[in-house]
Amino acid sequence: MSDEMIIKTGEGKLVDEVYESPVDRWQHRVRGLVMLIVLAVIALIVIYLLWYFVSDHTREYSDIQEHFKYGSIGSEPGGTVLTPVGGVLPPYLVFKTLPKVCPDKLPGGYASLGLVFEPNHDMPIGVSRRWRLGVEQVGLNCAVCHTGTVRETPNSQPMIVLGMPAHQLDLERFFNFVISCSLDDRLTATNVIQKAEDMGEHVSLMQKLILSTALIQRLKLQTLEQQNRMGFALNPPIPPWGRGRVDTFNPYKSLQFNWNLRALPQSELIGASDFPSLWNQRPREGMHLHWDGNNTSVDERNLSASLGAGVTPVTVDHASLQRIHDWIWTLAPPRYPFAIDQSRSARGKAIFDQQCAECHSFGGGKTGTVENLASINTDPYRLNSYTYIFCVNQAALYPESRYRFTHFSKTDGYANQPLDGIWARAPYLHNGSVPTLLDLLQDPASRPKQFVRGYDVYNQEKVGFVYDTPEARSAGSLYDTSIPGNGNQGHLWGTKLPPDQKRDLIEYMKTL
Amino acid sequence: MDNDVIFQPLQFRNLTVKNRLFRSNISGRFDNYDGSGTQTRINWEESFARGGVGAIISSFVPVHLRGRIMPNYAMIDSDDKVPFWRALGDAVHRHDCKYILQLSHSGRQRDNPGVENFRQKGLSSTSRMDTFHGLLCEAMTLQQIKETIQYFADGARRAREAGLDGVELHASHGYLITQFLSSAINDRTDQYGGNLQNRAAFLLEIIRAIRKEVGADYHLQAKLNAVDFSNALYPWEKKGNTLAEGIQVAKWAEEAGVDAIHVSIGSIFPHPLLPPGGFPPDELNWWYGTMISSGVLGYFNYTMFHFRLLRPIFTFFWARTKKDHPIEAVSSQYCREVKKNVSVPVINTGGYQDGSVIRRVISEGYTDAVSIARPLVANRDLPQILQSGKDLPDKPCSFCNRCLVNAVANPLGCYDVRRFDGDHDRMVAKIMEVFHPSQFSTAAPGSQLM
Repeated sequence: MSDEMIIKTGEGKLVDEVYESPVDRWQHRVRGLVMLIVLAVIALIVIYLLWYFVSDHTREYSDIQEHFKYGSIGSEPGGTVLTPVGGVLPPYLVFKTLPKVCPDKLPGGYASLGLVFEPNHDMPIGVSRRWRLGVEQVGLNCAVCHTGTVRETPNSQPMIVLGMPAHQLDLERFFNFVISCSLDDRLTATNVIQKAEDMGEHVSLMQKLILSTALIQRLKLQTLEQQNRMGFALNPPIPPWGRGRVDTFNPYKSLQFNWNLRALPQSELIGASDFPSLWNQRPREGMHLHWDGNNTSVDERNLSASLGAGVTPVTVDHASLQRIHDWIWTLAPPRYPFAIDQSRSARGKAIFDQQCAECHSFGGGKTGTVENLASINTDPYRLNSYTYIFCVNQAALYPESRYRFTHFSKTDGYANQPLDGIWARAPYLHNGSVPTLLDLLQDPASRPKQFVRGYDVYNQEKVGFVYDTPEARSAGSLYDTSIPGNGNQGHLWGTKLPPDQKRDLIEYMKTL
Repeated sequence: MDNDVIFQPLQFRNLTVKNRLFRSNISGRFDNYDGSGTQTRINWEESFARGGVGAIISSFVPVHLRGRIMPNYAMIDSDDKVPFWRALGDAVHRHDCKYILQLSHSGRQRDNPGVENFRQKGLSSTSRMDTFHGLLCEAMTLQQIKETIQYFADGARRAREAGLDGVELHASHGYLITQFLSSAINDRTDQYGGNLQNRAAFLLEIIRAIRKEVGADYHLQAKLNAVDFSNALYPWEKKGNTLAEGIQVAKWAEEAGVDAIHVSIGSIFPHPLLPPGGFPPDELNWWYGTMISSGVLGYFNYTMFHFRLLRPIFTFFWARTKKDHPIEAVSSQYCREVKKNVSVPVINTGGYQDGSVIRRVISEGYTDAVSIARPLVANRDLPQILQSGKDLPDKPCSFCNRCLVNAVANPLGCYDVRRFDGDHDRMVAKIMEVFHPSQFSTAAPGSQLM
């Protein structure tokens, strides 16, 4: 080897070849292995953490009814750990322990708010669980607002009717409780962990770490923001929604568009109306949906409703929503569960066909169209809460996504609804201001001024829920028609019928 | 104080020392890289003699280059080193102080092998690496054992030729002879491994070879572990030799011809129990770096010393055995057991400074004399202070072991800045006095340091 060649080999090579000590040799031998082990351990930790914080999985229910009750539609918080989006409820452990953390704020637990619990389920119907962002999250699904209970007598077991309006649910108090307890000083990681363990939950070390270091703090910040945005719509002077009702669009104005609700006129801030039923959607496609008929697409209406449950285009579980869509597309309305006087019913059918069918039967000339407010003359608040400017904003929501709304419009009245399963859709009118069908057929001045909503024992005579017994008063909440938005005026059709014909008519309506 | 036990002469078979205070083995990197001695070492040793100790036991003096702990320590591996040692002995003798040269071989325990040893592993009884720094080694062949025994004998001969007063075999603290003695280290299957007798054969053959070389009338002592405590640092290590085994080795050494036993403990150096006291992580962070490439665990250790978050992990292991032992007179109880079983005088080392403690261990039969290193580095005049009736100097040694950790990189001296009222410059100036007078100055050698 010439000198020139040595120089060309380069310094590093010379050093390696000339000076290698036993320590070098040993280290070179094991260093690769050690580095491999270190890298493997780091890789495993990274993979584990990625799996932990990025994985998104939820329980799949093969049975569609179970899926409807407990399956996730993607309303749990999602996105990324750094920029979470969506969701209206705190994580599972917090949600589960809230009633124990703030017992004074909800002495009867979630059931007292009208959430329906079944045996062997720790979450009520309508609350789904999903692993997202490194935490077991909970979210609301369709069933929370669309599952009702019915009893024959105060001593009967309740029947759970899927797709029926959740007439017993006080959603506003539910949200207010979650917000209030989330911000309560007693809501600490230590308290949540202790209460959860008292309730038999195994809280892993990682979960304790997440709860203690970030989760509770972040929850409080998010809840504060939520309260700042929509708290105004959920508290006086805006009248309470009461059981079985929701103000769809006012929280929407603040949460989605960040409008300052205080700047809106009170007339636009009152919009509570009844939960609708979910069955039989196929024949409704193309009809004016929502109480004021502001949308003609079942899919858009579904998606819009799921936004209210906390879904976003980022977090939506499209396949899950599609399953529900397919199910409710053909879901039959529930059969009236009690006896029907067939002869009365037959007489009532003739009256119905003559007096009601044009607006309320599938195939009726005006069914699914909007009835001008001047004509129907029912309470105007719900109509007025959905404003033109709001409608325009909806069209601009998620403009880049496949979920962009294109079917919303501002109307001038309330839509004529098909009356399938009408027995289960009490109380009546868009704002639930009339407790029974028989009362609806009375002149507005004779309709009950105050009644109890949310009691699930059925009044077979009047067709609707019992609203004036002591049991009803202790179980439900009082509805006052004198409060803005709660008016029970209008819809005079049928009020002039003779009493006997009214009986016949409502007997027939049990069969719809 | 008349009749003070500390200042009674100690009579060995071939040597009499004026008092019971021995300067224990300690030195810095004061010599030439190749192991030839310098004026600095003479300054160093003479300063202790001037301070009043009865005898000085040299620092680790390698009998062969391959058995060197680190460069810049004077060696006794060749005849041309004799004049230096003679000059050193003469300097010490001027102060009525005896000088005992410690014949040593590091075996695998080479903190910094130096360029000459860079490409060879250390020699040992075993091929398993040292457990602290990961110092690599290879088991000695029978031929290498035979040669090494002769290196020790040659070293003893040279010490006698240099007019020194005796030699000590360094058979403790994990160096080569310990590597043969200890059941935790020696894994040989030949006549130098297995039972205690086989493991002790290397030591006993060295003693006999030295006696053959220098005769029966030259002082020869052995520094032995009473107990190994090999698992003091890492609990997963073997325990090593027990007290009973340590006593047995001492008895055999006496039978083979040693004139005294110097009792210590610990099968590595440093060891959590010896030198007793602190193990300052800040100094380790600053100076352990010089040892990183010496062993395969160097970088691991350095990482532990460097990061404050990791230090508690190492400290936990270092302190786990230490907490059950005193700092002062750390091995005295084991020394007493050795002393009961041998008839030659014993010297004990480990945490001696306080006069009352020293008097007690001597008068109560724990030992015949004590050897001291760090407290003398701090106060060269400790013997005079004790003789004056005081038990402690005004600024005593704190046993912080900063000197120990600095020794691998810096000139040896007291690095406890608290003893200098926090004045770092004054501390360094004191340390640097060892270099004066230099070989070319006109002042009398060693006249500065005191």
